[in-house]
Amino acid sequence: MTIHRVIRKVQRFQGWFGGGGALCLGVGLYLGLIGSPPDYYQGEVVRIMYIHVPLAHTSLVAYTVLAIGSLWYLWKRDPIVDNMCQAVAALSAVFTSLALGTGMIWGKPTWDTWWTWDARLTSFMVLLLILIGYLMLRTFVDDHEKEARYGAILAIIGFVDLPIIHFSVEWWRTLHQPQSISMRGVSISSGLLVPLVFMSVGMSLLFSYMLMIRTQLLYLDRLLHAKKGRILSQFHLSKSDL
Amino acid sequence: MTSFNVIRWIVWKDFVTELRSRETISSMVFFALIVILIFSFSFSMDQQAAREVIAGIMWVAFAFTGIIGLGKSFSTELQNDCLEALQMVPEAKGAIYLGKVAANFAFMFVVEILLFPMFVILFNLEVVEEISLLLLIFFLATLGLSAIGTLFSALTVQIRAREVMLPILLLPLVVPVMIAAVEATKGALNGDPLAMYEQWLKLLAVYDVVFTVVSFWLFEFVMDT
Amino acid sequence: MIALSCHGIGKSYGHFQVLHDINLTIVEGECFALFGPNGAGKTTLLKILATLQRPSTGYYEMLGMHGLKDKDAIRADLIFLAHGTHLYDELNAKENLAFALALRGQRPTDRDMKRALDRVAIGAFVDMKIRHYSAGMKKRLALAKAMLAKPKILLLDEPFTALDTAGTDILREYVRERLSENGTVLLSTHDQDKTRPIVSRAGILRHGALQEVSVEALKSDDLF
Repeated sequence: MTIHRVIRKVQRFQGWFGGGGALCLGVGLYLGLIGSPPDYYQGEVVRIMYIHVPLAHTSLVAYTVLAIGSLWYLWKRDPIVDNMCQAVAALSAVFTSLALGTGMIWGKPTWDTWWTWDARLTSFMVLLLILIGYLMLRTFVDDHEKEARYGAILAIIGFVDLPIIHFSVEWWRTLHQPQSISMRGVSISSGLLVPLVFMSVGMSLLFSYMLMIRTQLLYLDRLLHAKKGRILSQFHLSKSDL
Repeated sequence: MTSFNVIRWIVWKDFVTELRSRETISSMVFFALIVILIFSFSFSMDQQAAREVIAGIMWVAFAFTGIIGLGKSFSTELQNDCLEALQMVPEAKGAIYLGKVAANFAFMFVVEILLFPMFVILFNLEVVEEISLLLLIFFLATLGLSAIGTLFSALTVQIRAREVMLPILLLPLVVPVMIAAVEATKGALNGDPLAMYEQWLKLLAVYDVVFTVVSFWLFEFVMDT
Repeated sequence: MIALSCHGIGKSYGHFQVLHDINLTIVEGECFALFGPNGAGKTTLLKILATLQRPSTGYYEMLGMHGLKDKDAIRADLIFLAHGTHLYDELNAKENLAFALALRGQRPTDRDMKRALDRVAIGAFVDMKIRHYSAGMKKRLALAKAMLAKPKILLLDEPFTALDTAGTDILREYVRERLSENGTVLLSTHDQDKTRPIVSRAGILRHGALQEVSVEALKSDDLF
């Protein structure tokens, strides 16, 4: 029950998360798109970094939150923790797809190809596949409790697997494409760093804000379904007495 | 001691069932043969080209047949609701997991041993010196596949669309096994010095240990009610 | 001593509520019969009590153990003869018995198994694969498993389906034996005639709500 109190307390500041996120993103976008100089090597193209990198960071943070929430659920079996996990997973899938998409758009002018089997891109694709599998899995279970439990199991396995996937892909790539292209081309100078920090913080706040709203929604949805069930069964009971 | 008995009885039961019905291994072998056939049509190969892609073809065939075996491992428990009886075992469920992993590993390994000569013959491979190393690679990779596959077999068998969900959930998670197994097999078939692909064997070993432990622990929650 | 007490057990799938605030207390040596039309939630209630499903609300205690926390301890004292017989098609009768009991940590001797199989009158088919058994024979074999396990609590889901008259007698005799040894039996059925001789208490499950009735009331035929 304490978790509910904590959530209620945090939720009181929900508006601050949304507002703060909007502010940070506004400032970050202004600095990133207008206020900062173009990159020496990449020119104007580098500006997509201010979107791409925060998205990628946030999706990794989101998956970590999902794994922690899943562990927590298996430990306490509290349905609201599962509502949070479900909310994180959907958001995480969105952020990961956007990170992948912006990465591809960035790759076209810099590497002259939409897709390369770069370690990070590949790991992100596998991450996206795991998340889609997670969301599919949840729709294929009839029982709420089972759905939550199985989702948690998959999320934890995936979390343990991700670093191993990343390493194996990286090793594999260095064997097959000896460093013709590398993400590490951009050296971060302070002029680039400030908008990047704004964007990262803003993106995390935006993510937290969306997470809170979505969790709340799923929680209320569950209450509603329970209530509907009670009313329906009362109705059937009263009818059978006649 | 009881847990050890449970492991033994589960393995015994799976072996006896398989010996009498011959469903799993025969369907795995024939499926793999068909996969090999399809692949050999889609690449017209001389020996040089074969050397490049053969390891990949081999492990795709092994992984797909493995998924057939893994799927059957728990779907046979659905007849007469035997899964309920397993869930009601008053012991820690980890023993059931280990028994099932052992049985699945054995089936997959046997199928791989049966299929490997086919590859050698059909694609004119020369493997005589590397056979023990290849066996080690097969052993480690198959253990990895069955460690994580057994967990997901038990999980997907209790949901809808289970035949589809097992590969969908399993294949992204075994990406490291597939990469490592293909690279190591390629190295061994090319006769490269061990040092060139030793890292892949180590990766497989780490993967096996990590996922046997994690799956052993999570299996409790799969069988939980 | 109280063998089983349910406290406000409810179960819902999505917004469909199967069970509704079930409160029930059974003492040792009692045989409780659950009646109810199809879809009333009998099997769901039995599965919850057999630790196979988790109730959405409420909890139960069995032999003083908490039904959601001490599941493994409860499982050791409980046999659930479900709709599925929990038998493996490729194994023969003795192998099935040995396997099922080994999972419970028991090692029945050959003689015990033979005696149990004779008692359910399938001793002649010991070496036959279960695949070739009829539904009634499978049911008898499952009963033999329960006989060997000697559980304190016996949960029976529709025990009379597929059993012939002789099989019904064997089952009823076994239930009486469990009761005389202070065991507890909870069974679900819709067959009053076959159940009446062995039950001590009865209840009707209707739309997920339980209502206790006197055993005498079972004699009138218009329960449902």
